[in-house]
Amino acid sequence: MINFNINFNDYKIISSLGQCFEGRATVNLAKHHPSNSLVALKKFNMDKLKEDSSLVDLEIIITKQLQHPHILPYLATFVHGPEVCVVSPLMAYGSCRDLLNNHFNEGLPEQAIVIVLRDLLDALSYVHRKGYIHRAIRASHILVSSAGRACLTGFRYACPIVINGRWQKTIHSFPSSTKANLNWLSPELLEQNLIGYNEKSDIYSVGMVICELGNGSEPFAGMSSTLMLTEKVRGCTPQLLDCSTIPRDLNGDCSSGDCDISPKIIHRRFSEDSHQVTALCLNREPYDRPSAVQLLTHPIFKTIRKSLPLTDLLKPALPLSDRVALNSDDLEDMDSLNNFSNLEIFSCEWDF
Amino acid sequence: MAGNGNSLTMSEKICNTNSSAESVAPATPETELVNRVFSVESDEELKPIDPVENAKIWISDGHGAKELDGMDDDLENVNILQFFHRVDSDQIIYQTKKKRLKLIGKYVMGDLLGEGSYGKVKEMLDSESLCRRAVKIFKEKKLRRIPNGEQNVEKEISLLRKLRHQNVIRLIDELRVPEKKKLYLILEFCVGSLQVMLESAPGKKLPAKQAHCYFTQLLDGLEYLHGARVVHKDIKPGNLLLTLEEVLKISDFGVAERFNMFAKDDTCFIGQGSPAFQPPEIANGAESFPGFKFDIWSSGVTLYNVMTGQYPFEGDNIFRLFENIGKGDFTIPSEIEDPLRDLLLGMLRKNPVERFNLQQIRQHSWVNMKPPPSDYKVPIPPLKNDQWHNMTVFPYLIDYYYEDYGNGVTYDEDGNVANSEKPQYFTERELNAATDQDKQLVAEQVNGNKQANQSTSSSSIRRSGRKKRPITCMTVRNFSMCKQS
Repeated sequence: MINFNINFNDYKIISSLGQCFEGRATVNLAKHHPSNSLVALKKFNMDKLKEDSSLVDLEIIITKQLQHPHILPYLATFVHGPEVCVVSPLMAYGSCRDLLNNHFNEGLPEQAIVIVLRDLLDALSYVHRKGYIHRAIRASHILVSSAGRACLTGFRYACPIVINGRWQKTIHSFPSSTKANLNWLSPELLEQNLIGYNEKSDIYSVGMVICELGNGSEPFAGMSSTLMLTEKVRGCTPQLLDCSTIPRDLNGDCSSGDCDISPKIIHRRFSEDSHQVTALCLNREPYDRPSAVQLLTHPIFKTIRKSLPLTDLLKPALPLSDRVALNSDDLEDMDSLNNFSNLEIFSCEWDF
Repeated sequence: MAGNGNSLTMSEKICNTNSSAESVAPATPETELVNRVFSVESDEELKPIDPVENAKIWISDGHGAKELDGMDDDLENVNILQFFHRVDSDQIIYQTKKKRLKLIGKYVMGDLLGEGSYGKVKEMLDSESLCRRAVKIFKEKKLRRIPNGEQNVEKEISLLRKLRHQNVIRLIDELRVPEKKKLYLILEFCVGSLQVMLESAPGKKLPAKQAHCYFTQLLDGLEYLHGARVVHKDIKPGNLLLTLEEVLKISDFGVAERFNMFAKDDTCFIGQGSPAFQPPEIANGAESFPGFKFDIWSSGVTLYNVMTGQYPFEGDNIFRLFENIGKGDFTIPSEIEDPLRDLLLGMLRKNPVERFNLQQIRQHSWVNMKPPPSDYKVPIPPLKNDQWHNMTVFPYLIDYYYEDYGNGVTYDEDGNVANSEKPQYFTERELNAATDQDKQLVAEQVNGNKQANQSTSSSSIRRSGRKKRPITCMTVRNFSMCKQS
C-alpha cells in the first residue's frame, strides 16, 4: 500500500486534465514522486468558491467515510496555499460525459451502459445504506478506470438521511448551487413541497443517466429550467431513443426533410430490458421506483457475464495511460505532455 | 379596470402585433419589435441574437405558418373579427384575472403568502436554481405613510445582510425597481409561522415535544443574534417561521436594533414590538431598558403562549394590557408543572436584572430534558387548502408554457396591464430558450415527426403572433422524447 503523503512537493503536476465545479476547481494529471505513480490531483481554489467552500468540506468528509470499489476514494487531501488539494487514483477513461463527448456522441453501446449501470447501482446501494442521498447522479460524476471499472464521485451535493440520530423518512432540503445538476434531479425533489423526497430520488437520476448514456445527452438538455420543471412535474417521462421510441409519420419514415436524425439512432434498437429499467427508474411516483438493491436483481445484469469487458466495449476510446504511451515513451517529457493537452485530447469535463 | 389610458395603449398594442403577425407583409413593426427584443436581451446578458437575422426568421416563419395547411393548429381557427373582439374591455378584465407569468429579475412571481404592515409577502421561484423563495415587497408610497418606514426598512436590510445563522431568516437577494418604486427583498422560503400553526392546533397550543423542539431553535437563534449585538425586540409566534424541514427561522427585523461595537451594554431606548409581548419595563414607560432581557421576556411570553394556548397578560385595550404587564402578576395554568413552570417564572420576572439570561435558560432542566413523547403532532396547516404547500408558481408556469398566451403584455402583480414599454423580460428569455431548444432539438435529431418539427421551427413566430404557444412542441402529443404518463 502506497502512502500518499500530504506534502504538495511530492506531487509534480504534469498537465491539466480539465475543470470541475463550474470551473472553480482544476483537475490535473500529477506524478507522485515517492511511488512514481500517476494520480489525479484536484485543486479547489477556496478564494473563488466563497460560500460554496463548505461543499468542498462536505465532499471530502463524505467521500472519506465511504469505502467501496465503485466509489472514487480520496488518497490524500491537504491544503496548499489558497487551494485545497485532493489526490485520487487516476481514472484513465475520464468521466462517462467525456466518453460521450469525445467518442460516443450518439450514446454508448448498450452493453457498456449496462456495465456502467451495474457499477453505479452497486455504489448507490452502498451510499443509501450508509445513509446518504447523492443528489447529483450524472454521467460526469461517473468515472471509468483503466481496468474498466466505473466509479461514482461528486459527493459535494449529497445530504445525510440521518438527522439528529434519526433515519428520516423524507428529506426536504434543496441542494445548494445545484444549477448544473437540475436536469437530472427528480420531480419530487424539485417540487420542494411538504411531501419531500427520499433516496428514490437518486433512482430517478439513474434513469436520467441511462438516457444520457444511451442518447448522448441528458433529456431536457438545453431547455430552460422552468420548462424542465413543469415537464417533469406534469409527468413527462424521457426515454432511450431508438427505432421503437422515435415517432414515425405515415410513410414509416423517421425523420422529416430538414431534421435528419442520424440513421444510427433511427435504426438502432435497445433491448426491451433497457427500456423497462429506464421506465422503472423514471417513474413519477417515488414509491413505485425500485431501490438500487432491487434494480440490481433485474435480469438485464445477467447479460454482463457473457459480454465483453468494458474496456473493449469502449473502443476506440483509449485510457489516458495508453494515449500517453502512444505519444511519448518518456513520461518526464513535459513538452510532449503539454502538447497533448493543447491538442484537446483530454480537454473535457472532469467533473469529479 | 385600470382606466381608459391603459386600455387604449393595450388595444393599440394588440392592433400592432396583430397586423404584423396576421398580414405577414409589414416588416417594419416586426423589426422594431425585434430591436426591442435585442436590447432587452443584452440587458439580461443573454446570448445576443442578431436582430436582422432574427427578423428574417420571423418573417419567413410567418409564411411558414401560413403554409401549414390541414394542420391541427389554432392559427387557422382565428379570424380577424374574433380577434378584434378581444380588445373589448370586458375581455381584458377577464384576461387579467388569469395567472399570467411575471418575472422580476430572474425570479418568477407566485401567489401571496402573507401580508404585513409594510407590504405583501409572496412566493417566488428562482428560475435559474429552481429554488423556492419568499419575497417581501415594499412599495415606496406605502412606506412614506408609515413613520420612519423607509429608515426602518433600510435598517432591516443592512441588518439582514450581515446575519447568517440556521435559525435566522436569510436575505438572499434584494432588487430595487425604481420605475415601479418597489423594493423586493428575496428571503428564504418558509411554509408558515408558529402563529398560523397555533391557530390551527387544538386548544391553540402545541404538544410539549414540538414546543421544546421549536423553543430550543429559538434559543439558538437568539444566542446568535445577541452574540452579534442584535436585539430583535419583536419575538412572537407570528415572527417565528418554519421551513419545509421544520427549521425555525426568526424573521421580521423591522424594529430590531444593532448595538454599536463600542456600546457599554445593551441599553435600548425605543421599543416598538407587539404590545402583548412587551416586558413590564416598557409597559411602565421606562426611558431605557436592557435590550437582551427584552427578547428574553418576549420569548417567555411566546413559550407560555405555545404551551398553554393563552397569554400571561391580557387586557381589553392596550392601556389595560400595559397596566397588567406593568404589575407583572400572572398565573400559570395548573397543568403546567415544574420544571417548565420554573422556567416560565424565571423568564417572566418583572425585574429585568433578575430575569433569566440565555445561559440560565440554556442550563435549565426543561430545556435540557428529553421532552415527553406525545401521541400527536400539529402539522403545518395547509395554505389555501393545499396541505403539501406545492409551489404556487406552478400554475403561472403552466399557463405560460401550455396555454394560449396573450399579446406579450406584461402584468404587474396586481394584475393590471403594465406599461408596454417596460422590458418584457420573460418573453425575451423564453424566446431565447425556445430558439435554443429548437437548435437543440434539431441538433439532437430527436424529432422524427413532421408535424412536431414544423411546430417547433415556427415556435418563435408564435411568440410574436397573436396565438402564443411558446414552446409548442411540448404540448404536441407526440413530442418524441417524452411520453405523457
